[in-house]
Amino acid sequence: MNDRRDGEDRAEAAAEKRRRAHRTRVLNAAELELERSSGGFVTLTVRGEEPERYERINAFRSFPLSAADRYISLRDREGDEIGIVESLEDLAPAQAALLRDELDRRYFTPLIQRVESLKEEFGYSYWTVDTDAGRRRFTVQSGKNNVTMVGAGRLVIVDVDGNRFEVPDYTRLDRSVLRTLEGLL
Amino acid sequence: MNAEVPASIRERLSAAGVAERDILHVVSSDLRLDGRFGEDWAVATSDSLHIVTAGGIDSLALDRIGPVQVESLVSGGLLTAGPESSRPDDSDQDSANGESANGESADGDSARREANERLLLRFSNSRTRQFGAFAGAVAALQKGDDAPAAEAPREQTCPTCGLRYPDQERAVCPRCIDKRGLFVRVLGYLRPYRRLAAVVAVTMLAATALKTVTPLLSGRVLFDDVLAPAGRFHGRVLEVVLLIVAVHAAGVAAQMLYQRLNARMSVHMVYDLKSQIFTALQRLSLGFFARKQTGGLMVRVNHDSTNLNMFFIDGLPSFAVNLVQIVAMVAVMVAMQPGLALLLLLLPAPAVVLIVKRLFPKLWRLFGRQHRSFAILNGVVDDSLSGVRVVKAFGQEQQEIERFTPANDEVRGAELRTQRTLAMLFPSVAFLTQIGGLIVWAAGGWQVIGGSLTLGVLITFATYSALLYEPMRFMTMVVEFWSMAMNSAHRIFEVVDAVPEVAERSDPVALPHLHGAVELRGVTFAYEPNKPVLHDIDLTVAAGEVLGLVGHTGAGKSTLINLITRLYDTDSGRVLIDGIDVRDLRTADLRRQVGIILQDPYLFDGTVAENLAYGRPDATRAQIVAAAKAAFAHDFITRLPDGYDTRVGPRGHGLSGGERQRLSIARAVLIDPRILILDEATSSVDSETEEMIQLALERLIRGRTTIAIAHRLSTLRMAHRLAVLEKGRLVEQGTHDELEASGGIYATLVRKQRDALDVIGIGAQR
Repeated sequence: MNDRRDGEDRAEAAAEKRRRAHRTRVLNAAELELERSSGGFVTLTVRGEEPERYERINAFRSFPLSAADRYISLRDREGDEIGIVESLEDLAPAQAALLRDELDRRYFTPLIQRVESLKEEFGYSYWTVDTDAGRRRFTVQSGKNNVTMVGAGRLVIVDVDGNRFEVPDYTRLDRSVLRTLEGLL
Repeated sequence: MNAEVPASIRERLSAAGVAERDILHVVSSDLRLDGRFGEDWAVATSDSLHIVTAGGIDSLALDRIGPVQVESLVSGGLLTAGPESSRPDDSDQDSANGESANGESADGDSARREANERLLLRFSNSRTRQFGAFAGAVAALQKGDDAPAAEAPREQTCPTCGLRYPDQERAVCPRCIDKRGLFVRVLGYLRPYRRLAAVVAVTMLAATALKTVTPLLSGRVLFDDVLAPAGRFHGRVLEVVLLIVAVHAAGVAAQMLYQRLNARMSVHMVYDLKSQIFTALQRLSLGFFARKQTGGLMVRVNHDSTNLNMFFIDGLPSFAVNLVQIVAMVAVMVAMQPGLALLLLLLPAPAVVLIVKRLFPKLWRLFGRQHRSFAILNGVVDDSLSGVRVVKAFGQEQQEIERFTPANDEVRGAELRTQRTLAMLFPSVAFLTQIGGLIVWAAGGWQVIGGSLTLGVLITFATYSALLYEPMRFMTMVVEFWSMAMNSAHRIFEVVDAVPEVAERSDPVALPHLHGAVELRGVTFAYEPNKPVLHDIDLTVAAGEVLGLVGHTGAGKSTLINLITRLYDTDSGRVLIDGIDVRDLRTADLRRQVGIILQDPYLFDGTVAENLAYGRPDATRAQIVAAAKAAFAHDFITRLPDGYDTRVGPRGHGLSGGERQRLSIARAVLIDPRILILDEATSSVDSETEEMIQLALERLIRGRTTIAIAHRLSTLRMAHRLAVLEKGRLVEQGTHDELEASGGIYATLVRKQRDALDVIGIGAQR
């Protein structure tokens, strides 16, 4: 009997969730309170007439490449969207910084500041680079769109393990690197 | 395993009271919590977890933290300890209550354990496998499982040169693969043609020898022995000229013969190779294809064998010819005049180096750019024309033209640059090589006047200098050619050598007549390690019973069917048919008696009749027609202009979704399976068609064990019993009425469908 009640509750909750999923809920930046939890995650309180509290949220970028700070989707642990923050700029600086940290963790993409060496052979390119996260060596499979241009001069590189790197402006790389790079695009 | 831990970490651990012998599992990250690259460690003993970071050691008792698990992010992942009292698999359900927006059930207890949820370590995607294994092992310790977890996969690096394998699934170092061994193996394909190969070698040597002799005759013999007054054959011009012509002609004939024979030989060889690859591909299990992209496989079959073909038709013989030619010419020249020979050999060297190292790479880059810009342009055109309906529907012709223009500009630019360079390059190259010849003329001419060299020898040398350039240029590229061919050979052999994961036992149980009882016992399965798609499924289907499988997308329904049909093998647990483990069954018996009707049936390029008889090529016309009639397909087939002879498939007549489904049903009817698997399409067809499909199915199902992935109410109603899957677990089981009354997931699904039917004005069939 108990099982049956659980089932009904669950089904009801699921149906309610689906109904909500159809509408975009734009979160009012003034009502948001983000905190770092003791475990290292982010806790969200939405103030208002019926305050909502989420012990752990995950933040997603809707446009990770073209508008990294806009349309940030906040989701609960289940992955259901709580709402969208239209722009990080709307948040108080400390709150924006917290959320940006969280986003940078999810979309971890070191910026390549210098390419120390780039070699292409046998269908793979081998990179040694200095990034804003430190030095790194990685391997990229040639072809297959692993090096793509996103916007003027910006390159996103995906290595064999699925790690991402970004070159903010490839025209500023060394000529010899550029020459090899051209063959990879 | 402990040996991996560096001494400094070990010391810090022992200072914190962790004895080395107690360490069970270890993992190191490559990314610190602050987002900088660096190494942090996690070490597990039987009762505690120690996180070693630059900031210190954090020791956690395993029974005080939630289940240790891995969370995947975009470009890396997190090692976390989940909320304390929930198990990793159903944490979402617990938290659904704890986090519901109403907050009513967020009692104090759940708040406390959520505060316990914590971030332990961070890693990049390069360590996903290691962390997955570690988390699995620690979670097992937390559950109290004694079973020793599989050792964490190590980073795969080449033992010879230390290079990290580019593809971690493939323990192959592109730098150190045993190219010689590969070459010997490729040569093995020549064995059936060894007599031909011998003839090729002989004719090739003959052609090269004749080519080397010609300048000797037209130079030294003609000038020194015939034209010179003191010559041995003075005055016998006609004979010598005829001899030269004859030798030349013989040389050309030998070359033609050898090239023809060689082409025949290599074409046969590559044919053999391709057949072997294709046969190997057919033999492999589905898992292989799921891992490797199908596109990549096609490249493998075609591109790599073409590469090898080129190597054998062009590369290897050219290498042999050029080598023999260089050696022969140098030998002749050194014998005649060592000093001049040395000069001649050294002179073209700088030019060759310049051309090979500088000019050619530039040309390749330009060609590459041209090729890419052309590919992009083609892509734009193809994209635009394939999507012409969408373009028209949205009225975006102008946008398409604007998309085309920059790509076209790019092609024009690349083409211009290439042509400009070509126009400069080849005359310069010709000039450079001619200068080499001119220097020979100058140095030799001076020697001729001095009397230390005859005119004939000089002319022979000059001819050789022109002939030597090409082989020398070739020799500088031979390494690249060879590496490319051997890499292709390696990829090909990888397919040929791959062992099917789902293999028939050596002494399988023959079961020519199944009853059709299916049973799953404790079945767990994961496509990727640590991401189980099915958990511990127990399910019984009696012979002749119809079971409906219900659940959301991604619940594991199709996976379940893949296991019953043994396209994959279970990770743990067993699938039994008539009480026999499918792994022990003869594969042919299984395949012949299990029929599958897929959502979107693939039709091969061929006629309707051929497609119907796909599972039973020996079916008679009468049987084919009977099967089509049973599936309500006969009527529409006969209305086609070519009837059963209509070509269908990728390049054939377009059939509607409903028609294809009925063909698929007929195909299953024809093999008369004992067990029928139905993967019902979610896409709707019009109600009349649906009714026909329904009738066809009902007829087909009668008397067979049927497992149906069902979405439509009407199909569900045919089922004797239903099983509801949710996130890889079997959550509900029973008859339609029982489940509807229980008010669970199934009841919700049914209600939703009825609502939908009501909305669009179709009375739900009660």
